[in-house]
Amino acid sequence: MSAGRFLPLAGALALAVLGFFLPRLLGGSTLVYDTLVVIAIFSAMSYGLDIVLSDLGEISLAHTAFFATGAYAAAILTVSYGQSAWVAMAAAILASLALALALGLITLRTREFAFSLVTYAAAIVCMNVASNWDFLGGSDGIVGVPPLDLSIGPITLTAGQSFEFWPYAYALLLLTIYFVYRFRRSSLGQAALMVHMNPRLATMCGLDGNRVRLQVFLVSAPISALAGWLYAFQRSYVGTDLFDTYFLVLMLTSVIIAGRGLLLGPLMGTALLMSQKSFASLGAYGDKLVLGAILVAALCYSPRGLAALWPRMRRGPL
Amino acid sequence: MITRRSAIGALAAFSMLPRAAFGADAVKVGVTIPLSGGAGRQGQDVVNAIKAMASLINADGGVMGRPIELLVRDDESTPAIGIAKANDLISSGVAVVLEGWNSPVTLATQSVLARANVLDITMISKADAILASASNPLAVRLNSANAQDAAVIAQYLASKMKSGRVVFVTENDAYGNGAQKGIEAEFKKNNLNYTIAASLKFPFSQTDFRIETTSIRAAKPDVVISINANEGAGLPAFLQQYAQANIGAPVVCSVGTVSPSVVEAAGPAANGLTSADIYFPQAQPYASNPVNQRFVAEMQKQFKVLPDKFGALGAASLQIWAKAAAKVKSFDRKAVAGAIRGQEIQGTIFGDVRFDPHGQMSHHYNIFTVKDGKIDILGG
Repeated sequence: MSAGRFLPLAGALALAVLGFFLPRLLGGSTLVYDTLVVIAIFSAMSYGLDIVLSDLGEISLAHTAFFATGAYAAAILTVSYGQSAWVAMAAAILASLALALALGLITLRTREFAFSLVTYAAAIVCMNVASNWDFLGGSDGIVGVPPLDLSIGPITLTAGQSFEFWPYAYALLLLTIYFVYRFRRSSLGQAALMVHMNPRLATMCGLDGNRVRLQVFLVSAPISALAGWLYAFQRSYVGTDLFDTYFLVLMLTSVIIAGRGLLLGPLMGTALLMSQKSFASLGAYGDKLVLGAILVAALCYSPRGLAALWPRMRRGPL
Repeated sequence: MITRRSAIGALAAFSMLPRAAFGADAVKVGVTIPLSGGAGRQGQDVVNAIKAMASLINADGGVMGRPIELLVRDDESTPAIGIAKANDLISSGVAVVLEGWNSPVTLATQSVLARANVLDITMISKADAILASASNPLAVRLNSANAQDAAVIAQYLASKMKSGRVVFVTENDAYGNGAQKGIEAEFKKNNLNYTIAASLKFPFSQTDFRIETTSIRAAKPDVVISINANEGAGLPAFLQQYAQANIGAPVVCSVGTVSPSVVEAAGPAANGLTSADIYFPQAQPYASNPVNQRFVAEMQKQFKVLPDKFGALGAASLQIWAKAAAKVKSFDRKAVAGAIRGQEIQGTIFGDVRFDPHGQMSHHYNIFTVKDGKIDILGG
């Protein structure tokens, strides 16, 4: 392996190992572990949207539905049917794919504003179904999701407390980042970018735009669903709040604030938002003002996200 | 007006006083409740009531000689934030968490607290699932349950009419749907020949009810049952818009949703509504209860207000936990819960109270109406 490829790989591995010990480096309290666990889970959730938003150029407002699908799959299968977390994981992926296929076939005929509106409507429909269908717990939701148990034979892999969840949440985050990294270098990732940037050229190259869009939608849904699957075990309760604007705004802001298309963008955005909320909160009103101000400033002065400021700062004032 | 900053400042100052006075390590008590948004004002009132009760307990020597230090967090009526705040309190080493305005937030936080072996006492959230959850087998709740409330509303309606058209205007969540389901079940149980002319669902945060009032008019009801726990904004808005629509059918509000702040905010539009509640500071049997008198006096001394039901539930939560901990001489979750569940606790704001084996406190209800902007108690 050449030094040009080895050094970035070694750097990434070192960063990944260091990241695992981050909770301990930050004091190891329950609050630190809990914050980092939800940063990892919510980042993974946001990566699902990031693929559609950054690579396909569409703003999907239905990704809360995929996130909730993963959580509901985990809750129903473990609470109502006593199945293992592995079975629930498989179900979360399959259910999100089925939902994405159904939504994709309908929504991907539309573009831009219409696409966003239709996906939002789909999420609202999903929320109302969940609120009023007893099988999904109705408006009470599903309580009593057991601690995570991924044990295989003699190997015990369980998590109940935040510090026990950290390895699983961190693993999910790393796998998600690696998956997105590989996706962007795959033929589908390249095709998505071409369909987004230059649809005519894509057609001339023989790409079926609608097919590519559907494939990307199908790739993105299980990512958010897996985040929902783990979140269900972490908080032990699944309810219709998972469809709420809280998660939608968090996803959108996380993707946009650091910079669309950046590999670590959703992670940086989620970390910024959740850390401020946990460690430097100014109260509900203050937090919203800070978030709003940062978002407005970022979009006005650095439309490509806060990360784009870095090279500008290095160049100095123009 | 009590701002968030002044409340936090007063709380910080208050929490420092007992340390100096007792010279013993304070026992930390966590509180999670909305301090912002639609229920923010009521949440602030609950916190004030808990502070008043903490003052009284500390003045009496604290809990097992240790003063109470309150750690208050805003759950923003959002389950995900409620969980984060619960974890923050767990990190801070609290002995108990008094929580719960919104049922979904309670349902989300109770398992997190149970896993960390921290006792949680639900002050206000009403969903029946709160006490039925396998994830928190030591649950304790003070506010009345949906099923208890439903029987009261059904009995009141039965005393007024044997048949007729009923419209439900119900918030679409764990509390609202549970309450409506309970009332409908009571109708059937009591063989009341009511027709559900319309069942209108709305999200908790809704404040514009013009579409609902149009639907109510079309349904030609004999009575409208409002199930709306958004007392800061939603219920006053509904009452005002319903009064403006001049439909005429009387409004019955679900138990415990009409606090004095609702009557104040709704103004003349609140006149004529009927509801029921479990606590009135100046009505019997509370008015003659010396423990309640002392609490009411402390509230007036510190905050110059009469406590409402929510404040009383918050204060009683702290009081009952302190009594139970003192009785078993321990802050252990299981021991304290065991001293509450299925037991009678004497000398509380609500008098001598009994908890059933599932952790639900029993209550005495009063039916009331609103007349000339004032709550007029019709009877128990």
